Amino acid sequence: MAMHRRLFLRIAALGAASTLSGAACATSTDDSPDLRALARPALLDVLGAEQVRAIGARYRAMVPAERDAAALRSAIHGRHPLLVRLLGVPRVAPAELVRRDFAEGRTVEVQGWVLSVTEARQCALYSLARA
Amino acid sequence: MHTDAQRLEDGSLIEGDLCIVGAGAAGISMALEWVGQGRKVLLLEGGGFDPDPRMQDLYRGEVVGRPYFPLEAARLHYFGGTTNHWAGLCAPFDPIDFERRDWVPHSGWPIRRADLDPFYARAQRLLDLGPYEYGADHWGRQEGGRARLPLDAEVVWTKMWQFSAPTRFGRKYRDAIVNARDVHLYTHANVVEIEANEAVRAVTGLRVRTLDGKEHRVRARRYVLACCSIQNARLLLASNRQARNGLGNGHDLVGRYFMEHIEMPAGQLALATPQLGNVGLYRLDYGKTKASGELSLSAAAQHTHRVLNGTTSLQPLPASPDLRSTFQVLTPEVVDAFVRIERGDTTVLPILRKLGEDFRPLQPGERRFRLFSRQEQAPNPDSRVTLGAERDAMGMPRVRFDWRLTDLDKRSMRTFYEVLGREVGKQGVGRVQILDWLRDDDVTWPGFLSGGWHHMGTTRMHQDPTQGVVDANCRVHGLGNLYVAGASVYPTSGSANPTLTLVALTLRLADHLKAAAA
Repeated sequence: MAMHRRLFLRIAALGAASTLSGAACATSTDDSPDLRALARPALLDVLGAEQVRAIGARYRAMVPAERDAAALRSAIHGRHPLLVRLLGVPRVAPAELVRRDFAEGRTVEVQGWVLSVTEARQCALYSLARA
Repeated sequence: MHTDAQRLEDGSLIEGDLCIVGAGAAGISMALEWVGQGRKVLLLEGGGFDPDPRMQDLYRGEVVGRPYFPLEAARLHYFGGTTNHWAGLCAPFDPIDFERRDWVPHSGWPIRRADLDPFYARAQRLLDLGPYEYGADHWGRQEGGRARLPLDAEVVWTKMWQFSAPTRFGRKYRDAIVNARDVHLYTHANVVEIEANEAVRAVTGLRVRTLDGKEHRVRARRYVLACCSIQNARLLLASNRQARNGLGNGHDLVGRYFMEHIEMPAGQLALATPQLGNVGLYRLDYGKTKASGELSLSAAAQHTHRVLNGTTSLQPLPASPDLRSTFQVLTPEVVDAFVRIERGDTTVLPILRKLGEDFRPLQPGERRFRLFSRQEQAPNPDSRVTLGAERDAMGMPRVRFDWRLTDLDKRSMRTFYEVLGREVGKQGVGRVQILDWLRDDDVTWPGFLSGGWHHMGTTRMHQDPTQGVVDANCRVHGLGNLYVAGASVYPTSGSANPTLTLVALTLRLADHLKAAAA
């Protein structure tokens, strides 16, 4: 119970900070090493930058709720954006997330490509970075 | 022995123990089985030994369903039949192709794959193929080792094909037939009617016409129709003097269930690493490769996803971004070029060289492949051959051809690529892209919809006379001495090209007839 109370307080504080300086927080997030790694999908070596960018743009159009970097990052890690800021991100390499997606059937079709959901989101991040 | 029926006196009577109608892959395979057997076997061929536009015109018909190439170009009407221009791809049907599948209406054969295995082995020799061995492990050990993609065979397996020379039956077996004392070949002998007894329980004879207007009669103890799927149905339907709907058609089944193989460019594969590109098992260098592999969904995966059987070949991406279907590549002009080059006509070489650009063999290290589908068509009673109003030069009604597909056909192909895409991703092999036309819906087909020039169905096999035209021994239900050889008896089409299976079935029928004649 005590832990839940502490967590609630940290989330509340983070929420207030986010409201007060949303732009600053977004900038900080964009620069995170995690985000930079996520925005370099392994698919770049397979399909090339142009194709990856097109897939990313298409994915963002298909899933409006994941149109910005924060939403994509939290979707990839399966954590609410506030929790990402509060607790950080799980230490799982993107390649492992992709592998798990395929193993567990979390795939999506974007421009006809059968992709893991994670890598589709990575493409979306890539397309945002180079938009 | 050989006789040109045009040289016989008008009104001649030709008699024998067994009469085979049609001298293509099935008819010649059947006739060869009787060489030296001490029976008088008649082999009737409508054409001669060479192509003749007048003979091809007899195959002309009206296409009223999905677009199809001119019927007179799709089958060859002279000794050797369509083996005079076939490409030589051979593979046995898979065990699942013979099974009744509750998600495939009208599926199920009255025989199993194991029943055909001994005959497949014999058919291999007639078609100049290698050993009856279609395991990817076996062929992967040949030529110093040929690698294949590391996929889970429980989901996607590598189906092997072997390549006939391709054997031109007309050229290869002409001497054996003509020199046989107990096989009597009659060329230019077009069967225009099958006559039955009054009770319509047995065939009593055939009426044969020649282009120069003669008419002869043929009598035998047993008869085998081996004229190809469309013409077998046409002849039965047109033989309607004693039975209003045609012979063997008491249940309105003759001509129905026409099937093709749906052959389309459907996807693209991008490999994760260049190292994976050394997949020699899928390489096809036409005229040199003895066997190569294609990817196919396992029987378990077909069952899970409730889809038809199918394969995809890995081909180099063509230089042009346009992905073309079989009908777009193998146009009637190209198909005709195959016939003409065989006869020494070098003017067609530019056509064939251009064709070669579409079939460049895979090179080691390639990372992008075109995925080209070859898929079973679901049996469909509305996909059919009927008789039209127009008549040909022999007085036979021309056919009305209505090729139709079902939603299951398209859903199966799309599902194939979805499953393949997931498996390829799961195993770290790469990624699959499904082409636009396949993603749209389950109903519409693009303008370049294509078959493989394969004709199957129309006299389907079933033990129940209300569900099939022939029984498990290829005998027409209700007629004691009429049999059908060829792909027209297939209840389902599998994904493999039809020739090897139709020759195997013909050899099985030959054994049955020999036992009956003993």
